[in-house]
Amino acid sequence: MSRRLWAAAAVIVAVVVLSASAASAKTVGSCILDEIAAAEFEGIEGEGFTAAKNLKTLAAAGDEHAEELKVALGDDLEGCFDAPNPIIPEVKEIVWGGLAFVVLLALMYWKLFPVVKNLMDQRTQRIQDAIDDADRQRAEAAEVKANYEAELADAKAEAARIVDEAREQAGAVRADLQARAEADIADMRERAAADVEASKRQAIADLQSEVSDIALGAAEAVLGRSLEDPEMQRQLVDDYIASVGAGQD
Amino acid sequence: MNIFALDFPPVSHLFQWPDILFAGNEYIGLNKTGLIYIAALLLTAGLFWAAGRRRSLVPTGAQTVAEAGIDFVENSIIMQTIGPDGRRYLPFLTTLFFFVFFSNIFEVIPFIQFPANSRMAIPLALALVVWAIYHVVGIRAQGFYQYFKGALFPPGVPKALYVLVTPIELLQILLIRPLSLAIRLWANMVAGHLLLVTFAVLSAALWGTLYVPAVLPFAALILVTAFEIFVSALQAFIFTILTAVYIGGSLHPEH
Repeated sequence: MSRRLWAAAAVIVAVVVLSASAASAKTVGSCILDEIAAAEFEGIEGEGFTAAKNLKTLAAAGDEHAEELKVALGDDLEGCFDAPNPIIPEVKEIVWGGLAFVVLLALMYWKLFPVVKNLMDQRTQRIQDAIDDADRQRAEAAEVKANYEAELADAKAEAARIVDEAREQAGAVRADLQARAEADIADMRERAAADVEASKRQAIADLQSEVSDIALGAAEAVLGRSLEDPEMQRQLVDDYIASVGAGQD
Repeated sequence: MNIFALDFPPVSHLFQWPDILFAGNEYIGLNKTGLIYIAALLLTAGLFWAAGRRRSLVPTGAQTVAEAGIDFVENSIIMQTIGPDGRRYLPFLTTLFFFVFFSNIFEVIPFIQFPANSRMAIPLALALVVWAIYHVVGIRAQGFYQYFKGALFPPGVPKALYVLVTPIELLQILLIRPLSLAIRLWANMVAGHLLLVTFAVLSAALWGTLYVPAVLPFAALILVTAFEIFVSALQAFIFTILTAVYIGGSLHPEH
């Protein structure tokens, strides 16, 4: 038990002891009984109830002294009807009430109060911990979210960059392919033109050779006949050409 | 006592009870008042014992009452009057609150119907304990000289007025505070008990003769009973908060 509790208990006990001298109130009946039982009258025989009875008998018989004493006793007994002073505490009630309070205070300090208070404090701590934990988790979640969003933004930027790069590469490839195709076409066109030219030249050369042969044949034919007549000459050449043509068909 | 042709019991029969144990002994005779104090002890102890035994996270029953009581005394009394350093008086003030409340509430408990604090014994004893505590607290916190100087010569008062103020303050801290604390609780409980008895006697008397008009005092009896439940709690609160105010005044004279 703490010193404070001992001090409180000592104060209460001291108060109880100091208050012990306070008067205790009586009931009306016990007051009257006590008054009459203790009655003694000067010049009247007996004591207590006997004296009171003798007093009453003498007063009824006309004894003035007895009458005065009877009035005085009546006044005393009248006092018993006064209500007990309610503000005066009774010692026995202070004793029992004070004892109950001291015992309760001791029990509360010793065990009862700390148990309940600790329970409340533990709960408060537990709730505080839960709130702190939730705050911490929320902060962590926010951090994770921020990281995730940053990574997502990076990924999007990376994807955009890759798409742009791919697009550029595709453009380059296309341009390259186009240039190459155009070069091939130009090359092919050039080669075709060269082939045509060569074929043409070959054809011309063949034709010239053919014409020479023909001309030679024609000359031979002419030389075999009279070429004096121009009309005849013409006829001869035409016939020869026709025969060559027919011979070629 | 005869009032309006009704037999009204004498005051001694309303507040004084015969001894149950150690009959006739002026010092240890146990009567109804003493029994109620023992009951208040057992109830408060039982309440806190039950509250500490359950130890559930979500309080119910006795645990709710005990914890609400502690919380009320801590936040509505101590924090409002003394401040955080008044928490060391929490067990004392909680005990005081529950003890006074349980002593009062027997006023409306059927078949007992008597507030133990309508007897001057414990209100006066508790007031004297409080008186001793706030003086000890003040002397320990400020020193004997400073404490009484601050109490008897409040700063800010023109010096000429100390002729008037100092005797009044002296009377106040030595006599008026404990007496007013005791008498306030005692008188409220006496008045409540008398009111309840008055309406109960009226109802019973009228029920035996006129029947119908008995409804009025009976309705009043019900209302007064409800009001006295409130008064029982209110007086416990007032006794506790004034104790805290006095302790706070001794700890922090500047307030």
